[in-house]
Amino acid sequence: MTQETESPQQAEAKAGRTDDHMIVAQDVKKWFGHFQALRGISMTVDRRETVVVVGPSGSGKSTFIRTINRLERHDGGRIVVDGIELTDDIRNIAQVRSEIGMVFQSFNLFPHLTIMQNITLAPRNVRRWAKEKAEEKAVQLLERVGIPEQAQKYPAQLSGGQQQRVAIARALAMEPKIMLFDEPTSALDPEMIKEVLDVMEELSESGMTMIVVTHEIGFARHAADRVCLFDEGVLVEKASPDRFFDDPQHDRTKRFLSQIV
Amino acid sequence: MADDPRRRRPFGFEEDLGVAVTEDAPAVEAAPLSTPATPTEWIRQNLFSSWFNTILTLVAGAFLLFVLYSLINFTFVSADWAVVQRFMKAYMAGPFPIEEVWRIWVCFYAVALLAGLSLGSSRWRPRVTTRTVLVTAVSSGAASAIVLYTVRTALVLSLTAGIVIVAAAGTVVGRALGNRLRKPLLAAWFLLFPIMLVVVRAFDGVAPRFWGGLFFNLIAATVGIVASFPIGLLLALGRKSSLPAVRIVCVVIIEVFRGVPLIAWLIFSRFVVDLFLPPQMEVPNIIKAFIAMTMFSSAYVAEIVRGGLQGVDPGQLEAGRALGLSPLRLTALIVMPQALRSTIPPMIGHFISLFKDTSLFSAIAVTELLSAARRSSASLEFFGLDAETLLFAALIFWVIAFSMSRWSQRLEHRLGVGER
Repeated sequence: MTQETESPQQAEAKAGRTDDHMIVAQDVKKWFGHFQALRGISMTVDRRETVVVVGPSGSGKSTFIRTINRLERHDGGRIVVDGIELTDDIRNIAQVRSEIGMVFQSFNLFPHLTIMQNITLAPRNVRRWAKEKAEEKAVQLLERVGIPEQAQKYPAQLSGGQQQRVAIARALAMEPKIMLFDEPTSALDPEMIKEVLDVMEELSESGMTMIVVTHEIGFARHAADRVCLFDEGVLVEKASPDRFFDDPQHDRTKRFLSQIV
Repeated sequence: MADDPRRRRPFGFEEDLGVAVTEDAPAVEAAPLSTPATPTEWIRQNLFSSWFNTILTLVAGAFLLFVLYSLINFTFVSADWAVVQRFMKAYMAGPFPIEEVWRIWVCFYAVALLAGLSLGSSRWRPRVTTRTVLVTAVSSGAASAIVLYTVRTALVLSLTAGIVIVAAAGTVVGRALGNRLRKPLLAAWFLLFPIMLVVVRAFDGVAPRFWGGLFFNLIAATVGIVASFPIGLLLALGRKSSLPAVRIVCVVIIEVFRGVPLIAWLIFSRFVVDLFLPPQMEVPNIIKAFIAMTMFSSAYVAEIVRGGLQGVDPGQLEAGRALGLSPLRLTALIVMPQALRSTIPPMIGHFISLFKDTSLFSAIAVTELLSAARRSSASLEFFGLDAETLLFAALIFWVIAFSMSRWSQRLEHRLGVGER
């Protein structure tokens, strides 16, 4: 089903050593009641790779990335994250979650905590860092996402774009190996989308392993190593951005691209 | 949203995009001021704007004057307040032996000191406006007048004045020490109740069956509030648990205690609580009633908290889980603070009604404030003075309930309910 376009070295590496794969999903299935949201998704994401997932709404793209950190339990298939298989074992889930940062469409910052507290909460309570260490890290991250002066404010005092950048900083504070983005710019006013995409591009260039569900085609072209199309719970096509946008192999991809451009 | 840059600087976002605001754009103007009306204008606009409004104003005004006249006439002309003077000790302490009343004074002094210290060390600064000065002056004047008139012995008067002085001194000291007091104060508040029990009971102290008057109402309400809050939280969480056994037990407890009147629970408690205690354990009947009241209140707290829990955005849970927080931390750090903040108004409302419901202990022969008032007007000397005694008891209940309500508003304001 998938169209892999790989260099010979990459193919060799994949065949020989599996530890280059940060995320391995094999035949992942998920049902909501009688509705099958994922109909056997297989995908590997290499270290330092940025994968962009596109597709119409209801295609299962959000559900898929939510199975990777177990916000949704997969009903069939295997998911292995950095060598740890996701099972019902709570310790595995906790370990995998602490390796994965996630950014949501609606930001989901904690409204009762300041920006600084939002960012330091998980490092202090999950990683057990001292307050000073966590705050030092938070200051660095706020500078990295371009809003160091907002640390003592509450989320509601920030614009949407600033809130989403805080959400990215909050996820990065756990020093994750993987970042998942679930439509991070869909809830933003148009003039704020760019400031968030800039942060994500910088992150991608710095070598973070990322899966990004988005409708931002410009971002996919710039920053992605691969682009995937999901439709009706199936991974239709997976290719490099140039090939995906300029020379799509599947009729479904062609139709999807003709609708959004 | 106060610091949203788009609000602060009109057109600011265009600057951010590198687009200059055009030269001929209209200048930013201040909002037009609405001119305050003169008193005559205000009266005409609000009270006599139409013939219907005029009639309403006249009828309501006449009614208000009548009520005011009756109240003043009763208070200062026809009422016989000697009964309140005579029974003051019974109202405050019930059958508490007079030679042991110092124990109650010690408790009140401790509370006054802690309250003063807390008020002083909190960042609260009273707003001094004509209105607040006027309200403070009138209410403290009225309170002093009532105390001076009803309290007849110099000893009790000076002890009462001492409470005010201790509270004021605590405020000054608390202000000076500020935040350093936070942790010791928290510990002191937690230890206050056990210490008070020791003060009342130790060295041949006073058994619960002699507790009474306002002192009893305050003790019962404190026990009910302090104990039912954590139990109610647990019941609410249990009701949302994914374990069916836990969920069913919690639902049964909540529904059973909520479904029967409090007065029935108080009467039952003598028999029901024994079923859950080892047979050799001797528990005073009042303690059993406290347990029944606590469970009754917990059921209400649980339902209030459940409402708050339902108001928390599921996205908050997902964000916490995605960060790797354990279920316990997720509940304590993310869910509960948000759920509880929105439940402050109904929660304080419930605690106010619990405080008033302590008068139901009269059904199990406790001489709390209300029954002390009724007994005093049944005495030979003052037979039939129900209006005076009940009005005085009602005033005390009202002052305390109203203070709780004001405190809740301050708490709401400080925690920013409905703002963030």
